[in-house]
Amino acid sequence: MTGQLTGHRTGTGRPLELRGHFDNRGITPTHDLGGGAFNVWSNTFPAEQLPPDGSSVEVGGVLFEFPARAAGGADNLRCAGQLIEVPPGRYDWLYLLAAAERRTEDQLYLHYADGAVDPEWLRVSDFWPQTPDRFGAVPAFRCATMHYPRHVQRGVDPVIWRHRVPVPRHADLAGFRLPDNPAAHIFAITAVAAGQEQP
Amino acid sequence: MRIVLDGVRPWRHDLAGCLHACLGTLLDHAGRRPLEVLGAGWRFYYRLGDLRAEEYYHPCPDGRSLVASVAPGQGISSRWHRPADAEQGWQQVREQVLAGVPVAVAVDNFELPFRPAYRDVHSNHLVVVYGFDDERGTVRVLDAIPPFFDGDLPLGVLAAARDSGNRSSHERDMFFADNPIGNRWLELVADGAPSAEPRSPAGYLAANLAALRAGASGNPDSSAGPNSGAGPNSSAQPNSDAEPDRGAEPNSYAGRDGIARFLTDMSDRLADGHSIADELFVVSGVALAGTAVHADWVGDTGRRLGLPGWPELARRLDRLAHHWSAVRILAALTRTGEVTPRRLRGRQVALLADLDHTLGELDLMLAAA
Repeated sequence: MTGQLTGHRTGTGRPLELRGHFDNRGITPTHDLGGGAFNVWSNTFPAEQLPPDGSSVEVGGVLFEFPARAAGGADNLRCAGQLIEVPPGRYDWLYLLAAAERRTEDQLYLHYADGAVDPEWLRVSDFWPQTPDRFGAVPAFRCATMHYPRHVQRGVDPVIWRHRVPVPRHADLAGFRLPDNPAAHIFAITAVAAGQEQP
Repeated sequence: MRIVLDGVRPWRHDLAGCLHACLGTLLDHAGRRPLEVLGAGWRFYYRLGDLRAEEYYHPCPDGRSLVASVAPGQGISSRWHRPADAEQGWQQVREQVLAGVPVAVAVDNFELPFRPAYRDVHSNHLVVVYGFDDERGTVRVLDAIPPFFDGDLPLGVLAAARDSGNRSSHERDMFFADNPIGNRWLELVADGAPSAEPRSPAGYLAANLAALRAGASGNPDSSAGPNSGAGPNSSAQPNSDAEPDRGAEPNSYAGRDGIARFLTDMSDRLADGHSIADELFVVSGVALAGTAVHADWVGDTGRRLGLPGWPELARRLDRLAHHWSAVRILAALTRTGEVTPRRLRGRQVALLADLDHTLGELDLMLAAA
């Protein structure tokens, strides 16, 4: 699975606004290799091989807003217990564009409009090249190169994965709290309403 | 003369590093099943201050070699060699290969063209050497850590990587720099003479449970002698795979309680203004690898034996490994002040709760069996 750029909004779901939570820059252009640090070693994804900032992109039938950079150039968030609001409504899934520094998992907390709270598992696969997914995710974007602060490394193919989290209750969702696990990075989230889920 | 050994195959686990990768290849070549040898044991051990700047760092309890520490109870050990210089270093490795034995050699990634860190980052890494061509002046090298490499290098290039001083020069030379490579190489001693009765799969689980529960207060197997040092700066001790006597080792952390004390001490030291990034990053990486490889062994063994409870236990173990993924990055981010003692303690609470649950389930499973 590879993301498809869309001139108009296709795909299902309601992309969530995350810019206010972005705190990490994981994507850089070749003229600014040292401008980000997705991981501990300051590697980044190559911007030229990914959708433009703020563009709409369809990944396996789900509509995502590819991150529009926030202040300081941040384009993703490290999970750190952020509380993310969702336009209240019925959803069956939260779809994510995400990648981790070594695969990891933690519980997030779904907050429903009626005050109920349930834990669900957030699992994020490793962005590192030549490392298969172990969680049943699908690759959304596999790049042909990886950026190092001083060079572009060919033959190394980092991945942004599409994951999903179930929203089981037959109730309106109001938001969710992410776990405190900075190994997990999230670039985009789309809430998919009942009946719109993709294969 | 030209020789390339047959039967040298790559092995890698996604949550382990070059140590497990190299050992997997060497074990496979020696006729052992890598996952069985590397994954049956599951321990936690660390002695405060023991840390060395090596991607292949693994704490070695008293009297144990590196491999006996990674794979307790397998009757397999290892011997580090520290040649006097690069020439002796190559001749020793060449003799091993000539005798049909692949070996693991330490290298500085900074000197290796196939590593992304080439001419950029110094890092103390481990690769397998299993061939050479005297006429062409090349060496056959296998590195299963991405980007995968299996090919020939000029002997001079490998020699430079093995003889490197590994000196840091910028801020990204972290964790695994400033430890001279010293041409060291690792010999696997797979003598096929286990020190104890071969254990059944359930026997390994029982030994793991006992070791983790014994922690700092006891010794489930037997004690070993005083520490002769098992790092690459020491000579050889390819002997015991017995459990250490924790009481004889001040400042050591072992078992479940050792994990709790280690994480508490790390948080406390961070709160006191000390730098903990290197120690916590590297030690959590060891715990991550050991737990994850064990998880795969438990799952694989359960499926092979038709025991559905085992893959379920394996999934719990994987969950523990994923905690260590988080700890590792939390550790690194203490450098910038992004991670506070409070955040570390939060992870500790969650990790220990899951660890206790897993050990409890393991206990029940073994009792039922």
